[in-house]
Amino acid sequence: MARVADERQSLFSFFKDQLRPRGKLITPFNVISIPVIIAGVIILFFRFTQGLGATTNLSQQNPWGIWIGFDVVTGVAFAGGAYVLTFAVYVMRMDKFHPIIRATVLNGFLAYVFYAGALVFDLGRPWHVINPVIGNAFGYNSVLFLVAWHFMLYMTAEFVEFSPVITEWLGLKKARRVANSLTLAAVILGISLSTLHQSGLGALFLMAKPKIHPLWYSEFIPIFFFVSSIFAGISMVIFESTISHRVFKMQMGPGSHERLNEIIIGLARGATIAMFVYYFFKALIFIHDDQWALIKGFWGAWYLTEVLGFVLVPMVLFAYGSRHKAVGIIKIAAVLTLIGVLLNRLNISVIAFNWNVADKYIPHWMEIVVTLTVVFSEIWIFRWIVNRMPVMREPGALGSPNRKRELQSLN
Amino acid sequence: MNRRNFFRLSGMASIALMAKTAEASHGPRPGAPEFWGVLVDTTRCIGCRSCEVACGEENGMFVPDVENDGALETLRTTDETQWTVVNHFETSKGDVFVKRQCMHCWQPACTAACLTKAMEKTELGPVIWHENRCMGCRFCMVSCPFDVPKFEYDSWNPKIQKCIMCWHRTSVGDKPACVESCPTDALIFGHKRDLMEIARMRIYNHPEKYVHKIYGEHEVGGTGWLYLSAVPFEEIGFRMDLGTTPYPEYTKDFLYGVPLVLLGFPALLAGMNLMTRPENDEESGVHGE
Amino acid sequence: METYSYVNIFETKGLEYILLICFMVMMVLLFRYMRAGMRDKS
Ligand code: SF4
Ligand code: SF4
Repeated sequence: MARVADERQSLFSFFKDQLRPRGKLITPFNVISIPVIIAGVIILFFRFTQGLGATTNLSQQNPWGIWIGFDVVTGVAFAGGAYVLTFAVYVMRMDKFHPIIRATVLNGFLAYVFYAGALVFDLGRPWHVINPVIGNAFGYNSVLFLVAWHFMLYMTAEFVEFSPVITEWLGLKKARRVANSLTLAAVILGISLSTLHQSGLGALFLMAKPKIHPLWYSEFIPIFFFVSSIFAGISMVIFESTISHRVFKMQMGPGSHERLNEIIIGLARGATIAMFVYYFFKALIFIHDDQWALIKGFWGAWYLTEVLGFVLVPMVLFAYGSRHKAVGIIKIAAVLTLIGVLLNRLNISVIAFNWNVADKYIPHWMEIVVTLTVVFSEIWIFRWIVNRMPVMREPGALGSPNRKRELQSLN
Repeated sequence: MNRRNFFRLSGMASIALMAKTAEASHGPRPGAPEFWGVLVDTTRCIGCRSCEVACGEENGMFVPDVENDGALETLRTTDETQWTVVNHFETSKGDVFVKRQCMHCWQPACTAACLTKAMEKTELGPVIWHENRCMGCRFCMVSCPFDVPKFEYDSWNPKIQKCIMCWHRTSVGDKPACVESCPTDALIFGHKRDLMEIARMRIYNHPEKYVHKIYGEHEVGGTGWLYLSAVPFEEIGFRMDLGTTPYPEYTKDFLYGVPLVLLGFPALLAGMNLMTRPENDEESGVHGE
Repeated sequence: METYSYVNIFETKGLEYILLICFMVMMVLLFRYMRAGMRDKS
């Protein structure tokens, strides 16, 4: 009995210790993010008491704004890195990418929890969100039904993929073995689900045919969304691992810098090919739909900006950067690609949606604050986890201080 | 062949045509009742807006002050307080009034969009909404080609508002309130097959009075509400670029692909993992640790 | 109103195949270009 109580005591103090903030409180990121998050929570309070109209510029003509167009549609595309990398590492056994797999999976998991979770803010009657799940109202004829289910299943799969890290953190030897044995199944399920919901997000707009500018509408939107999620995900991994490398430097062993560069160059090659294919897909659709006449005026120029400036240019930069091992150029290309995917998703869901309608939707500042709240909260949780769990470190090499010995005995 | 028979025949031909499109996606259930619709003859409408009033009263919605509000001056759309509105157009053939509301599509985009089955295409035709299911995602609004479903943005407990063709009346075979209130018989309630015959007959008897098109015959796969007009439909606020494909067909292929991918991918991926696995691999499942 | 006249829905196929050939050629070039970078290293 005493031992159980003792153990409980130590577990309790372990969590108490883990919950305490680490590091300096006054950093530029904290100074910016804390007020934004507080403001966001207040705004959300108003949103749930007064309705969506109080905090958003949504209208009858524009039922979906940036909470869908950015948080969900773009956020999920950016989270595509998780399925791309788990495919590379667990299915194709590309050992090269192993060092960043944990951070990428964690990022993917959190992105889904936060960005797809932000969908709840946008639902007018969120207490019914359970309806398509519990089966009293299965709208399986709906693309959104599919996407919603995939989000839930994928979150579970990502959690399973990440669970070995959690068990290491807690020093649970047996659970770790179980978690490990589930990884491959979760990876395979996760990749299959990703294929479908990445494209499913595009399929959401298939019935909005008369509302989306013909340069962006195509029956192949789902395929575009899938292919672009590959290079969106890769670019996000490059972007995020560059920043993480800087922020969490002290957690990584010697030689991590060279290894990261090697990884980034490898990723850039993958992105080049994916973008190359995507670009020719775009050209094919352009020719097939005979869109020459549309390339004029504002929308034509805007389209060319997206396709040439933010697909073709970063593709060339990726190719150049990977050939000449110029990591700096690759990073620029990654940022350009991210902007390009953002533009593409926003064009389809917001900007070129109802392009011919007089009353255009422009996001309310409160919508932007809530969006930033979502992003910042995700970063906070990411940081919290990375500072505590063996994500960046060599697996298991450094546990939390009081559990160090157990962890060493694990390996 | 007399005229009456001719129209009956052509009416049947068009039903046959619709049945053929239906076949492409499983076809109607045998024995299913034919759906209700309304024929709007815009040449008969005098813009009295009795239908707006009747709709508001019948359904407990906003009842406009028809005498004094001057609402015909501006182009209106239905909104979260009014399920139907009458608009005024000055056209090449003089003043035209057009009543608008949900078209009660034969294969509605809104019901295909709804993930909770809150939007329901009833067997009798009217498209209705269930408050206890809807989660307010507004995907129906994004999908409806006529922008009909409207959302209560200013409520913490918002509803989707759209014409339900007075379901409490039509479900027992009664006319909707608007049809009953119309003093000029500009609105006729009936089965689509009969309405098509009446519409064709009118065009045939007065070829100079009407444009030779019945809006809703084929639009978006055919709608329950049909319109006759004296002027091209573009002039009185109708979109002519919606196509004749039922909107749910646009997502059909994708949704078909879902089980295909979920059948094929997991096995293929597992196979690839086996192919890349080194011979003497003692690890249970994970690679590389 | 509805018109009844000839519509060729395959008008663009020829151009599409030309694009396809361009794609193949470019693909080979791109591949060679990127592989050249890898040779430099070793
Ligand atoms: S008009 Fe719109 S709301 Fe009405 S049935 Fe058709 S798709 Fe649904
Ligand atoms: S808003 Fe309601 S009725 Fe419309 S698609 Fe969503 S759940 Fe269905």
